[in-house]
Amino acid sequence: MTSDILLTQILSGLTSASLLFLVATGLTLLFGALQIINIAHGSFYMLGAFILASMLGSSWAASLPMFWIALVVVPLVVAAVGVVMEVLVLRPLYGKEHLLQLLATFGLLYLCNGVALKIWGGEFRSVSIPAVLGGRFQFFGGTFPVYNLFIMGVAVTVGLFLWWLLQRTQLGWRIRAAVEDREMLAVAGVNVRMLFTGVFALGAVLAAIAGVVVGPIGSITTGLSTQILVEAFIVVVIGGLGSIPGAAVGAIIIGMAETAGVLWMPEFASAFIYVAMILVLALRPSGLMGAGIR
Amino acid sequence: MTVHKPSARRVGEFWGVPVTLALGAALIFAISFVVPTTWLFFLQKVLALGLFAVATNLLVGYGGMVSFGQAVFYGLGAYMIALGWQHYGAPFWLLLMLAPLLGALAALVIGALALRTREFYFALLTLAFSQLFYTIANKWYDFTNGANGVFGPMIPGAIAMPRPGLWFILAVTMLALLALWAITISPFGLTLRAIRENQQRVEAVGVNLYRHKLYAFVLSGAFCALAGALFVVHDQSAYPELLDWMQSGEPVLMALIGGLYHFLGPLVGAFIFVFAHDYLVAASSDTWQLILGLALVLIVLFAPNGVLGLWRQGGGGGLKGLLGRVFQGGTHERPDG
Repeated sequence: MTSDILLTQILSGLTSASLLFLVATGLTLLFGALQIINIAHGSFYMLGAFILASMLGSSWAASLPMFWIALVVVPLVVAAVGVVMEVLVLRPLYGKEHLLQLLATFGLLYLCNGVALKIWGGEFRSVSIPAVLGGRFQFFGGTFPVYNLFIMGVAVTVGLFLWWLLQRTQLGWRIRAAVEDREMLAVAGVNVRMLFTGVFALGAVLAAIAGVVVGPIGSITTGLSTQILVEAFIVVVIGGLGSIPGAAVGAIIIGMAETAGVLWMPEFASAFIYVAMILVLALRPSGLMGAGIR
Repeated sequence: MTVHKPSARRVGEFWGVPVTLALGAALIFAISFVVPTTWLFFLQKVLALGLFAVATNLLVGYGGMVSFGQAVFYGLGAYMIALGWQHYGAPFWLLLMLAPLLGALAALVIGALALRTREFYFALLTLAFSQLFYTIANKWYDFTNGANGVFGPMIPGAIAMPRPGLWFILAVTMLALLALWAITISPFGLTLRAIRENQQRVEAVGVNLYRHKLYAFVLSGAFCALAGALFVVHDQSAYPELLDWMQSGEPVLMALIGGLYHFLGPLVGAFIFVFAHDYLVAASSDTWQLILGLALVLIVLFAPNGVLGLWRQGGGGGLKGLLGRVFQGGTHERPDG
């Protein structure tokens, strides 16, 4: 095995780690603040990719920088979908059994898939990489797609933004307080309902961004929602439910486990990530950075 | 302690579930002589999946352990029959006996690991096991035939025809359901419900939580594997999708639809689920996901105790009171819920 093959694989592992981080942070944030596991979270990712495909397929796409417009507009549209879901379905379920919340989001997963099949049909769709980000660059003797670098850049930017949001703003202070003790937060006069809706929308935005940036390098189908979901779950569980740094570490572990799988046992590459998760949980039942279930 | 021994003295309560099962079995047997073949296949599928759902509900509804990995055992049961036939030419009857043992053994290993975690971690870890087994079945082409699955004359001729096949599945399912019923009303079953209600309290009275949960996991795994073996009698094939996490979710959804807190709820749910699925998929496959999703959301919001939960216990004497008690016999609802 030459070193440039190894490098290429590591780079592609980091690319999928970036996408996983974007989806998994939303999941872990939702868990931390709302105490729910959102099985429909992958649907935001899928919707992001489909709406991008529709926008790039429209007649204005020739005259406007549609990809960049989509990168801003699509997350907002998907956030609106998230708000509707949260207000109508999840809000009545807070404080009820976790099983019911889990099954409600399971229902939303089927519902989103059904709606997407009605609108976009069952065929694969693909969109091309925006011209600015096309091409490859040289790095230690190998050539790599510029677009992969763009995806990593987006993930790092979002990660830094989240750090700033959570650590340096009042909204972030409230979200962190909700993770710690939501009753106390409500007593302190914060509108916890609105805060939860906001957190849910934020999670949807993050997943939709991932959906938009994955559009040009993946085939867009309804299968996207469940495919990313399972991997994002594993990332979140490895990192520890509710921990954003944990999601980053978990995403890199899974990205690298996939790379190792592709290099050594291509047939069973996807089995590597499940084994990684089982091993981590066998050693640390609350994940690497999780506080455990209170 | 909110859990009490069901009073077997009152007419109806204790015998409610066995009598309902016997009447149901008699009805299915009777109509098997007159209904068209498609119905026979439909009923086969309902019974196999119904057993799968009731066995899953032993964990979810009774024990409060939300497993998204029961398809592992279901799929293992199915593959036991299919691969035993393909590679070793083993007799079906032997494989049918071995399937629950394999399920129990796998559940012992997976449960020993997964039960160290709790709640969400448990749900997601069982889900990961489901995906792991799916991947193995899907990729280990030399042994499992990969994505194509295994198919062929693996079922003895006597039960390969639709009507005798239905009778066979019916008989095995009924025996298994009676065994599960006996488990749920045994002291062990009552302890399991108590664990669902309040772990700390149960632990405080000296119950070994981990061991009880593991027993439940192993029992559920064995019955799920049996259900998987019965599915092969129905479908005469085994394929990787039997093991994946969406398949693992289905028995939980069936239990929700029929009623998580009634012994027969998952069976009713399986009937509704399979009926709606076969009907809607025949119409158009994308409608199925849409309707299922919408139905699940509405059930969770407005009828969280499922179809059987809508039927409240009737009081008093006479036929209404008797029916109410018969129905009550199968419930294990939270008294305050």
